[in-house]
Amino acid sequence: MKVAKEVKEKKEVWEREELLTGCQAVSHAVRLADVDVIAAYPIRPYTEVMDMLSRLIADGELDAEYLIADSEHSQFEIVKHASSVGARAFGGSSGTGWMYGMEALVVTATDRLPTLFLVGNRALDDPGAFGVEHNDAMSVRDFGWLLSWSTTAQEALEHVLIMYRVAEDKRVLMPAALAMDGAFLTHSQHIVKLPTQEAVKKFLPPYDLGGRRLHPDNPVSIAPQVNEDWVIELRRQNWEAARRAKGVIEEAYQEFNAVFGPRYENPWFTEFETDDADVVLIGLGTVAMPARTAVRRLRQQGEKVGYVNLRWFRPFPSQELRDCLGRFKAVGIIDRDFAHGSPDSGGILCHDIRSCLYPLEKRPHVFNIITGLGGRDVSIEECIKMYNIGLDAAAGKVKDELVTWIGLRE
Amino acid sequence: MIKRLEINYRGIFQKNLGKYIGSDIVLIASSEGKVAFSNGRYSDAPERNGIPCKYFAFVSPDLSEEELEAECGAKMDIDEADVSVVLDDSMSKGVEPWGWHGIRPINEKVREKGCMLVVSERKHAELVKFFAKKPYDYRLATLKGAASLAGLWVFKDDLTRERVLGAIAAVDPGIISIEAVEKYLLKKTGDQKRAKAAREAYDATLRNIERVTPKDGIDWPHKIPVLPKWHEFQEGGVVVPAVKRGFKMGPRGQNRNEMFKRGTSKTERPVVRFDLCIKCTLCWLDCPDECFDPTDDGLYDIHYEFCTGCHKCAQVCPVPECIVMVDEMKFDNEKSPWEMHAKDPKAYVKWAEDKKGKERVFYPQVTGTGREIREGETVPAKVAK
Repeated sequence: MKVAKEVKEKKEVWEREELLTGCQAVSHAVRLADVDVIAAYPIRPYTEVMDMLSRLIADGELDAEYLIADSEHSQFEIVKHASSVGARAFGGSSGTGWMYGMEALVVTATDRLPTLFLVGNRALDDPGAFGVEHNDAMSVRDFGWLLSWSTTAQEALEHVLIMYRVAEDKRVLMPAALAMDGAFLTHSQHIVKLPTQEAVKKFLPPYDLGGRRLHPDNPVSIAPQVNEDWVIELRRQNWEAARRAKGVIEEAYQEFNAVFGPRYENPWFTEFETDDADVVLIGLGTVAMPARTAVRRLRQQGEKVGYVNLRWFRPFPSQELRDCLGRFKAVGIIDRDFAHGSPDSGGILCHDIRSCLYPLEKRPHVFNIITGLGGRDVSIEECIKMYNIGLDAAAGKVKDELVTWIGLRE
Repeated sequence: MIKRLEINYRGIFQKNLGKYIGSDIVLIASSEGKVAFSNGRYSDAPERNGIPCKYFAFVSPDLSEEELEAECGAKMDIDEADVSVVLDDSMSKGVEPWGWHGIRPINEKVREKGCMLVVSERKHAELVKFFAKKPYDYRLATLKGAASLAGLWVFKDDLTRERVLGAIAAVDPGIISIEAVEKYLLKKTGDQKRAKAAREAYDATLRNIERVTPKDGIDWPHKIPVLPKWHEFQEGGVVVPAVKRGFKMGPRGQNRNEMFKRGTSKTERPVVRFDLCIKCTLCWLDCPDECFDPTDDGLYDIHYEFCTGCHKCAQVCPVPECIVMVDEMKFDNEKSPWEMHAKDPKAYVKWAEDKKGKERVFYPQVTGTGREIREGETVPAKVAK
């Protein structure tokens, strides 16, 4: 779907501009979302969001319970439980911290509790590295989570609001993870527009868990032990919620544009120079920066190339991507992750997109790039190399192998 | 067009200073209608006391924010700098930010006609003698002052921040103009003295810019390691072979890891008066980096290449004036002090006292008040006449 463009830019909904890192922008969004409970446990590179939130609370700008947990597992459990008593709750983590709390993350999804977590993407250990890799956030992809990537601090701020709204919608009730690239986005400082509290209130209704809310006036038990009698039906419910989420997401963007002005044309991904393109790359996160510059340079040389910046990974926009990517001769999928031992040894994003394109009668040539792992820079020149693989393929010179690793020492 | 600026700072001690200057540049450039953003390399990540770190600011008068970010945003380091700010002049001797990076010249990134801007009390020649030779001309400016050092949770508000902004405007008005700096500081703080400090630094720096030519500097003595290709190193994760066991008495007697010397973290090094030493072993025992080598005569030599200047030995030494921390820029080699002492004890005492000078500098980092200078005591030599 395409969201209508006729809504006009609205100045009155923006209160002020501030210079903020990606993490700090998310903190301000959490403040604006008037979150009730925050649970913190530090790990780079997401930590600054918690630093900033504790400051906002100390300065009286936000009234919330702020708990410091003894580990990520406890941290995520606190967030989950807070959500079950009807509190809007926020947590977050990075890399191995995210994995350490995995048990809590899985049950948050099966208990259908609409919490929000920031994942500052970080390579999984070993070796201990601080740089971005997407395997951490992607680990919840199969469990019933909403999962999206932001590419700028402004987008991240806005997506805290959008994701709370979608997650808490009665038709959805799923936990949400907002991912952003460690260092490149978590730590860069940008001028960010902060919306007014009033406008946010207009967009984001109060959290209401309804009859499932744990409260002395509403005595219920959540998630008792059941076995084969119940599980498959519960899974089917989870799937249904994810299916409904797609419509709710589209509604949320329409409403967001109506309140804040025309911010998003397409909720799922943003296309750049794709109208007449033969070859596109598609990826998640900040790799869009060098990739789009590579597009500009190649366009100057007359090459018909474009970039698709994917925003939503769960729920996966299958039909939308089929409609979009089916138009091109060659599609290069950039993975800042790796799926060891998987089909043709590709990346996770590649597998999802390749499988999504399979039903098309006329499929584009698909190739996969593994790059930027562990925070390695992806340069403009390397992106041009990627486009050249696609341009060769479009001209009939197809590489034997699906996957090309770029930017490693070889 | 893009202007790239790097801020070289001392990890932890100048973390807030570095970040604030980066933020200020973005806000000032934006107030002039330019597009700007700032990020850091190793900032907040593997940052340790004194380790050389960098912040960056990128400014463009004509690119969109998205284009500027695309060019500069997703990188850990820059290829070249229009201005390379150095907040502590002892980094002039080279910077080794992380294991396997090697000791790199401080002027590695400065481009042709670009400018090194160093906070320093020293004459230009005293800095340039440590710089690597470049194949082209660039500029060097100094901003008079001592390095402003504070702590992780504190910021030392001593006007260094404002003065550096003024000096940046002097060396490259294309990044920020002095008028915009003044306006920004006044608007932000309402404090006339901050704008004045920036303006004075601007005026002083304008008079203090010199050309550096390809003849100036040294042939860089340190090897920059070439990292192995993926198939060239052992499988099973990064496995660092232990330093080969080995010990003998005397200077350089212990085997050490040559891959990461860590010595460029220091702003000061310990100078030992061997003649006052009571052989209590505390410096050797407490040194976190095992820089001390026992010698046959019961003393402890120091391997300065591995010393991070942490002050621990000077703090634990029970003898007044026996171990004193001295400004790193007063030294131009890493030679064994014990060997100098063994060769001529009297000359060594003279050398040591000469390096120590009259002032003893203290850094109460917890309070963030920065440098405190007290008068030192001269203890007569206890060497055979």
